[in-house]
Amino acid sequence: MSQLELGLPRRTHHFLRVFFVGGLISYRALFYWITPWMYVPTMLAAPLFQILFFVYLGRSAGVGSMAFFVVGNSIQICSMSGIYGMTMAIANERFFQTLSPLLASPANRVALFLGRGLPVLVSGVQTTVFGFLASALILGFRPPANSLPGLCLTVVVTAASCTGFGMALGSFGLRTRDVFLISNIAYFAMLLICGVEVPLQRLPGVLQGLAQVLPLTHGIAAGRLLAGGGPLSRALPDIGLELLVGAFWATAAFLLFLLFEHEGRRSGAFDRL
Amino acid sequence: MSAAQRVPAQGLFRTLPAPLTWPRITLSGWWFQLKMQAQSGFLIMTALVQPLIFASIAMADQQAGNRTLPLLYYALGAGIMGIWSTVVFGCGGALSWQRHQGTLEPLVMAPAPLVLVLLGITLGTATVGLYSMSATLFWGWAVFHAHVDIADPGAFCLAALATVVALGLLGLVMGSSFVLYRNSSAISNAIEYPVWLITGLLVPLSLLPGWTHPLAYILAPTWGVQALRSAALGGDPWLPLLWCLVASLGYLLLGVFLVANVERLARQRASLNWQ
Repeated sequence: MSQLELGLPRRTHHFLRVFFVGGLISYRALFYWITPWMYVPTMLAAPLFQILFFVYLGRSAGVGSMAFFVVGNSIQICSMSGIYGMTMAIANERFFQTLSPLLASPANRVALFLGRGLPVLVSGVQTTVFGFLASALILGFRPPANSLPGLCLTVVVTAASCTGFGMALGSFGLRTRDVFLISNIAYFAMLLICGVEVPLQRLPGVLQGLAQVLPLTHGIAAGRLLAGGGPLSRALPDIGLELLVGAFWATAAFLLFLLFEHEGRRSGAFDRL
Repeated sequence: MSAAQRVPAQGLFRTLPAPLTWPRITLSGWWFQLKMQAQSGFLIMTALVQPLIFASIAMADQQAGNRTLPLLYYALGAGIMGIWSTVVFGCGGALSWQRHQGTLEPLVMAPAPLVLVLLGITLGTATVGLYSMSATLFWGWAVFHAHVDIADPGAFCLAALATVVALGLLGLVMGSSFVLYRNSSAISNAIEYPVWLITGLLVPLSLLPGWTHPLAYILAPTWGVQALRSAALGGDPWLPLLWCLVASLGYLLLGVFLVANVERLARQRASLNWQ
């Protein structure tokens, strides 16, 4: 269908094309784990074993309930796609030496940047849904049926928030040599800081404060409330905060992207590894 | 040392019967790998940062919970988790990495047996994992006020050494079998957590389903952590230590067999440079 048939102005059409088509192409080209041989062990098996590991750790320490760890970890695993996926989607352009041609193109930067987040977000939601389903089958986790729509909303918002955070980390890939080191540290640190494995109130004040501006914290709190039978109205403030945190990181990421693009143009260091 | 002084030394080594040069080949490989890995950001993250995070989670959960396993129990378990991670990612991809770098062909072509070259690499990688053990013990003492009183320091050092050797040899098995699989990092990603879980590094084996126990018994981390805990917390470390050595011997034999086969297949298929 042509743009005239759609009745869209040329600029909007270009924006949407870069956003959807460009985003999908970049995901297929730059996301290492897209083949089934990588996707199944990395994005499904490893998260499943992570859930089991922490459920058993909780049992051995006698802390929390099974639902505490299932909800925390099932929501947290969406950050694998958000953090690593976005890091790959941005930093790998430099690694594959395609960053210069990309930034020489007149493509809208917002569309270019945000479009890469959509497939990553969908992949994150997919991983979390798999985590919940596997926990239901293996561990007998049963949230109340009326909590499912709220849980779905929470998962989508949290995956979006993690994608925003991943964009910010990925932006550093335009400048630093080993951005995956930063992503790895961030991913594992969030297990501790965001209340995934340890009740938030057990952490020192500094870490509790840091947790408030990181993705996952509010999403997991909302998820636990809903899975425990709480009404959606009580979870909405946490869901809203999670969205706000995601928007903050996405904005910061975009500004960083523009800054590093400017710096790269000035120093001619786009493809320098 | 000048060139004139080095010539006789080289000549001396050349005259030695082959088996007498084996320790030197392994030791050189081990030292070279140790120096290289010590500068790898990824390995430092895997051996240092990640175990500290897991140790913190386990100790914080222990303090919040109602069970009374000592903090040292978790610090030691998290330390071995770090060694396992370095082995899984460092050794699992050892041959693939050499291939990626284009150095596998010269290594295979060299007169030194390939298995010894690989052994040096995998033992070096496992040794880097000792960072984890030291870091988690220090972290437990400094942040969580764990009592790091080792009941039998001699047995503890021996158990740590045996664990590193056993894991290095397990790395040899993984390195030589993963090379046939193009996406070896995917296997590494998938087997990190299961082995942490079933070998009882942080969760006592008694809490796990019975069908996991036979799997745990053939994996060296199970015996390594039991030997370390017995030596540190008081108990008999010698039986688990013995099993650790038996497992090491098994891994060595399997590793020699696998490396020989992989080398033969790679030569036949001319796939040494296959990416």
